[in-house]
Amino acid sequence: MSSSTIDYGKTKTFLIDTTKCTGCRGCQVACKQWNQLKGEKTTFFTGEGYQNPPQMSEFTFTRVKFKDYEKHGQNEFAFYKEMCMHCNDPACASVCPVGAFHKTPEGPVIYNAKKCIGCRFCMVACPFGVPKYEWSKAFPLVKKCTGCYSRVKNGLHPACATACPTAITYGSRDEMLKEAEKRMAAKPDRYFKVVYGKEEAGGTSVLYLTQQPLDELGFRPVTKRPLPSYTWQALRFVPGIFLTVGGTLSLVTWFQHRKDRVRREEEERNSRKEGNQ
Amino acid sequence: MTAARIVMNEIKGYHRFIKFLMVLVGGAALASAVRFIFGLGATTNLNDLYPWGLWISFDVVTAVPLAAGAFTIGIVAHVFHIKKLEPLVRPAIVTGFLGYSLVCVGLLLDLGQPQRGPYVLFNWNVHSPMFEVSMCVMAYTTVLFLEFLHPVSERFGWHIPLRLLRTLELPFAILAAMISTLHQSTLGTFFLIAVDKLHNLWYNPLLPLQFWLSAIFTGLSIVIFEASLVHKYMGQPDESDLLATLTKIIPWIMGVYMLVKVYALASLSHGPLFDRPVLTALFAVEVIVGLLIPFGMFLTKRIRTDKQMQLRAASFVIAGLVLNRFNVSMFAMHQPGQPAYFPNFIESVVTIGIIAAHILFFVLVAKYFPIFEHHPEATDYTIPDRFRKIEKHGHGVASEA
Ligand code: SF4
Ligand code: SF4
Ligand code: SF4
Repeated sequence: MSSSTIDYGKTKTFLIDTTKCTGCRGCQVACKQWNQLKGEKTTFFTGEGYQNPPQMSEFTFTRVKFKDYEKHGQNEFAFYKEMCMHCNDPACASVCPVGAFHKTPEGPVIYNAKKCIGCRFCMVACPFGVPKYEWSKAFPLVKKCTGCYSRVKNGLHPACATACPTAITYGSRDEMLKEAEKRMAAKPDRYFKVVYGKEEAGGTSVLYLTQQPLDELGFRPVTKRPLPSYTWQALRFVPGIFLTVGGTLSLVTWFQHRKDRVRREEEERNSRKEGNQ
Repeated sequence: MTAARIVMNEIKGYHRFIKFLMVLVGGAALASAVRFIFGLGATTNLNDLYPWGLWISFDVVTAVPLAAGAFTIGIVAHVFHIKKLEPLVRPAIVTGFLGYSLVCVGLLLDLGQPQRGPYVLFNWNVHSPMFEVSMCVMAYTTVLFLEFLHPVSERFGWHIPLRLLRTLELPFAILAAMISTLHQSTLGTFFLIAVDKLHNLWYNPLLPLQFWLSAIFTGLSIVIFEASLVHKYMGQPDESDLLATLTKIIPWIMGVYMLVKVYALASLSHGPLFDRPVLTALFAVEVIVGLLIPFGMFLTKRIRTDKQMQLRAASFVIAGLVLNRFNVSMFAMHQPGQPAYFPNFIESVVTIGIIAAHILFFVLVAKYFPIFEHHPEATDYTIPDRFRKIEKHGHGVASEA
């Protein structure tokens, strides 16, 4: 796969500082506009909390999750912009039988709708629950955040990053990691000491800074190993096993059949002897 | 007109049970039409949380190991050359061929873009377990079809293909085992990507090996199951002597499987095992009903002669496998706090129809093609008249020399 030749330090990366997010949902709106996504009819409080729509879907590639908590007896909100993480070594790309997903050298993981056969393995595989399906259609396709690849390719920033007044910084992964460390060092009280996305799923092109421990905000705990390596550790044996099974069985066959032939010849010889007597 | 009437008359003569199966299959055909017109979203309970439901869990992940009888008995009878088992091979091949054809149907139903199915042949992604399984299933269905041509050619007296198929019997048995090893195990590899989703009672790196081993002993159990039922309900000869040979093989493979499972659980799982009571219960049922009880039964001497016990042990094994595959692909993939998934009416009708189709086609094939009366030594493999001269000449020279 092409992703092995990518220098991830240079890939374009989002740094989302949730401590600076005001919950304005400008990114959510910008994403809808840029991608021409239909509005969803929703009712309040259908999901886990205040957020609307209740979850990402074929019409919503990103949404701001609201989390209420108590601090010094005061009710506070934390906001978390959910979107595709654009993994360095994406699970969605590795499991797709026809290779409809791929990691671009620029950073975004994009989906080629013309190849997709609709098996939905990408949805099962993605550790962040990102790819969504067009359940509203008779011949559905997969939908997810494109990382605004068409913009990024032309030197622009993604629509959501452009619209965001405070919380999203966009640039090379190395720079964003450095920036994150700098902010954490400058205000140690303000930040939880982990950059989410630095190592998750082997590293992603979306990095988060938070105040709360990650699980409290609803971040999924995700393995640090790139997911494709989990299946590859079994799949890489395929050619070897194929040939071993074939070779072994051929040998066994030859041996068993020879045994049989030898016995038959013996019997024949014996019976001939008996006949002669 | 007359042809249609002949068919109608023929059907009228069928047993009531067969007609009932036909109704079920018809219902499933209707349900799949509805699915194609209105789409998956409108006709199934699938959603973004449960992109895979009953059709993947049963029609694909469970049906594939249930169709493993063909390759397992093929190895035992042909490769290990236990000739007396020959009569069990053909019914197993027919079952396998039907099973795999219906797996293909199930897969097509579940795809969002079924018309693009063949894309897999042109856009290779060797890193994808799904790619590997689809290639294998296509290849293996073809092999099974060719093997199935054997009784068909016999029925219609096609001598030349018969000769060819007969020489290919052995290579096919080996090829079948090679392909099956790959895709049976790779079905387990599917779920290795779900590291943080599949529960630790089932998630471990040896899952592919476990899938493969359990497919082998279940395949052999299916052969027992089928032969017993066919003897009971279709008036076929009692094969329990032959089955006794299988009852000696099965516990060995089950034993290895259990060792692998215990080892994987004890030292390869990466998290808490018994933290969710429902899953613990499912696991316990799977192990006790599907492994320990039948394993104990297979170890007794009585099972060699007791038909009833053979059937019962085989049924336990099969039930255990079904539960295992559902556990891995559905129940243990469920995340705490999420709403549960239940297949709806249309999904269930289709799956029931697929099972009914399997039984129905099997009975019909058995009715019209020689799959039970097959005794290799009695079959006439002579070359037809037109070729006899050349053949005789050749023979003559050979035998005189
Ligand atoms: S977050 Fe999911 S959809 Fe996005 S790149 Fe990673 S695996 Fe693919
Ligand atoms: S649904 Fe489409 S994109 Fe996703 S894995 Fe299947 S073929 Fe690939
Ligand atoms: S990168 Fe583009 S597609 Fe993705 S969430 Fe932002 S605006 Fe939407």
